[in-house]
Amino acid sequence: MGRFVVDHLNAFYKDKQALYDVSLEFPEKTVTAIIGPSGCGKSTLIRCLNRLHEVTPRARHSGTISLDGREIHEMDAVRLRRRVGMVFQKPNPFPTMTVYENVAAGLKLEGGHPKNEIDQEVYRSLKQAALWEEVKSNLDGPGVGLSGGQQQRLCIARALAVSPEVLLMDEPCSALDPIATAKIEDLIFDLRKNYTVVIVTHNMQQAARVAEYTAFMYMGKLVEFDLTEKLFESPKEKLTESYITGRFG
Amino acid sequence: MPEQVERKALSEGLAHLNESMRTLAERSELAIRKATGYLERTPTPGEAEEVFTIDRDIYDLRNEIMKECVDLIALHAPVARDLRTITTSMEITTDLDRIGRYSKDIVEAAQRISAGGNAAHPRVEMLVRMGGLTIGMVDTAIQAFLNRDAAPVLNINEADNAVDDLHDRVFTDMVDQMAGRSIAPDVGAEYILINRYFERISDHAVSIGYHVTYMVTGRRPSRAHKS
Repeated sequence: MGRFVVDHLNAFYKDKQALYDVSLEFPEKTVTAIIGPSGCGKSTLIRCLNRLHEVTPRARHSGTISLDGREIHEMDAVRLRRRVGMVFQKPNPFPTMTVYENVAAGLKLEGGHPKNEIDQEVYRSLKQAALWEEVKSNLDGPGVGLSGGQQQRLCIARALAVSPEVLLMDEPCSALDPIATAKIEDLIFDLRKNYTVVIVTHNMQQAARVAEYTAFMYMGKLVEFDLTEKLFESPKEKLTESYITGRFG
Repeated sequence: MPEQVERKALSEGLAHLNESMRTLAERSELAIRKATGYLERTPTPGEAEEVFTIDRDIYDLRNEIMKECVDLIALHAPVARDLRTITTSMEITTDLDRIGRYSKDIVEAAQRISAGGNAAHPRVEMLVRMGGLTIGMVDTAIQAFLNRDAAPVLNINEADNAVDDLHDRVFTDMVDQMAGRSIAPDVGAEYILINRYFERISDHAVSIGYHVTYMVTGRRPSRAHKS
């Protein structure tokens, strides 16, 4: 579960077209990286995957996106976003909540979950996010009191708590130091056993390290999509080659 | 068009690597050329020592190039054609190092033959032809590397086949002559060794050609099998 298929997707902000006829498939339980220069449309693409794009005023799209064979625009957006979690560039724990409350927030919002079940899910999510050992004695402390890397893993734990099938990550390490980045990358490596992960990154080495597939986008178009090792070793397109070798940016 | 970026440090490193590879190839070719020349006349101790020195130089230069390559990988995280150029250089240095060593082995065998008071055997002419062919093959493969052009090495197997044919003829001839006692076994064995060294040099030239093809195209050619 968690297989996204994007078919002839065009996306617009007012009159400005951000995506041009993008078609690709994100295989389930794999990590796919989306790379490309600033403004190439990679963030727009993942915001389309959980229908965040449509939240922007006067934003629109054409084409289809299906999750496990079902067009996502025919689904309830809230239910979709439960299945498709998202982690943003800057860690954004709920500022007034404790570590525990941050992770439990989604479950509490759903309602109907007894306290012991929520406790278990908080434990499971923090464990999966490789944060449990660091916060288990401080669950009642404020989420924003953690370090930047811990806050980002807290946000990942929060996303995992509602048992999504897909995790979208929009430059999740760009605000983190190398150690915190390495922890997130290790976490992504582990998460692919159970989740489909799509990560937008400016760091090509990070894409090479964590992703099984990589998509290269340029000026709103998908230029190349392939196994990561093939794309970084022998790209088919000259434009891809120029970008990944750092000959343009 | 996107804004171009030069990546000066990496580009300079790759340019320096190219020059190092050119020097290494020139030394290897010189070693074969000298070794081939000493089949028809006995090298003086000084001449032989010169080939041995070239062999040591090749080994040292290979180590320097390996370090250059590791540094480029560690410092610049190259990908795509840059990465293929560096890994190909590493692989080719091994081929060129072996070529240098075989050239040294040929000179040593030639010295042992002449030390026994033996004149050059009539079949040396075929060995010299093999030497000429292998020099041409190495030169072709290295030029292809330096020019980033796979076309010249597409048919490098044909030259290898010619070397192999000569190898088989020399081998059969030497075995027959040793059986017929028209050549001393120790001298025949030395010629068989020289014959083998040239055949191996030819194989390394083919290997360089394959590496160049990968570097340029991103695809590794399948190994050619003879019928």
